[in-house]
Amino acid sequence: MTDVREDKLETAARRLATDISPDRDLWPGIAETIASPRRPRWTPMLAQAAAVVLLIGASSAVTYVAVKGQEGPVVQVAPELLFEQASFGSHNLGPGFQDARNMLAAEFDAELVRLAPEVRDDVEANLKIVRIAIVEISQALEEDPDNVLLQERLLRAYRDELSVLRRVGGLTRNVMMRNDI
Amino acid sequence: MAALLTANSSDYSQKMVTAQTDAVADEAAWIRQAQRSDARAFEALYRLHVDKVYGLCLRMTGNVSEAEDCTQDAFIQAWNKLGKFRGDSAFATWLHRIAVNTVLGRIRKSKREQDRIQLVADTAPMPVATSDTGELRDLSDAVDRLPRGARHVFVLHAVYGYSHDEAANMLGIAAGTSKAQLHRARKLLSQQLKQQGFEA
Repeated sequence: MTDVREDKLETAARRLATDISPDRDLWPGIAETIASPRRPRWTPMLAQAAAVVLLIGASSAVTYVAVKGQEGPVVQVAPELLFEQASFGSHNLGPGFQDARNMLAAEFDAELVRLAPEVRDDVEANLKIVRIAIVEISQALEEDPDNVLLQERLLRAYRDELSVLRRVGGLTRNVMMRNDI
Repeated sequence: MAALLTANSSDYSQKMVTAQTDAVADEAAWIRQAQRSDARAFEALYRLHVDKVYGLCLRMTGNVSEAEDCTQDAFIQAWNKLGKFRGDSAFATWLHRIAVNTVLGRIRKSKREQDRIQLVADTAPMPVATSDTGELRDLSDAVDRLPRGARHVFVLHAVYGYSHDEAANMLGIAAGTSKAQLHRARKLLSQQLKQQGFEA
């Protein structure tokens, strides 16, 4: 009996109206929005993400300045290791982050030559993967700047990149300390 | 007389087929124009589909003002994503998917949805679907009172005719969950309507 009633229910559900006119014309609100040029929005999520990245970059720079007394040897930078402009979609993360990132990059280049060739290859391969991801996610964000998932992934990729850069510095410093002993 | 009726019927069928073909052709042309940022063509698409999109939003949210906002958001999203529409599915299905995502997105953003719905249920009249009358109105109201998950599945599957796979895909759930929610919805509706002597 219950099954019969439920079957009747589904039959009745198919007869429910699927086309329902809104009480008011909704087009003017839509037209107003789509007529205005789309501006990139500085969302709270984006602001937080940028702040975190900036903080990581700045703290890394301070650490670098404190630990490193003088410039390392000048190293030729391979073209594939050139940095992409750090950005979220159409938003640059600012000169502060970029400067910190450049300092870490310089340290990275100096320290990289001290690594064993196979380790160096691994590091460069990992870094290349991270940077390709940054470029691809940034391009995706250009098309969909409000996509929170992409913003989070880009932030994570920046973190990964900084982490690799810092770990290389740590690796070589540890090696140096052991040699000193 | 019979011949006349047959002729008239044939003419009518032919006109209907022609009208439908014209509508499809018009829609395809409007889509192409709207993809080139023609707002007038997009308005034509809006006029063509607004009742279905609003109906879906209204059935899913159970609230007129939420449904209006969702409908506007869905069409704005559609405008922004129009360049990505490749015609792999019908435009109406593509719009429905956007509308469902819009409804779910708004629900996720509003942590106080349950409170708001309760408030609306207490203070505002239930939404009116003009062509639902009598027992269908009772059913419509009962659907509005279903728990959110069960309501969404029931609306997409039982009212709009999407398969479990399609409904599950739209809602971001497993097909098995969709079936379970439908079963739950049917039980709850059956219980609710039994007391009202529902004989649809």
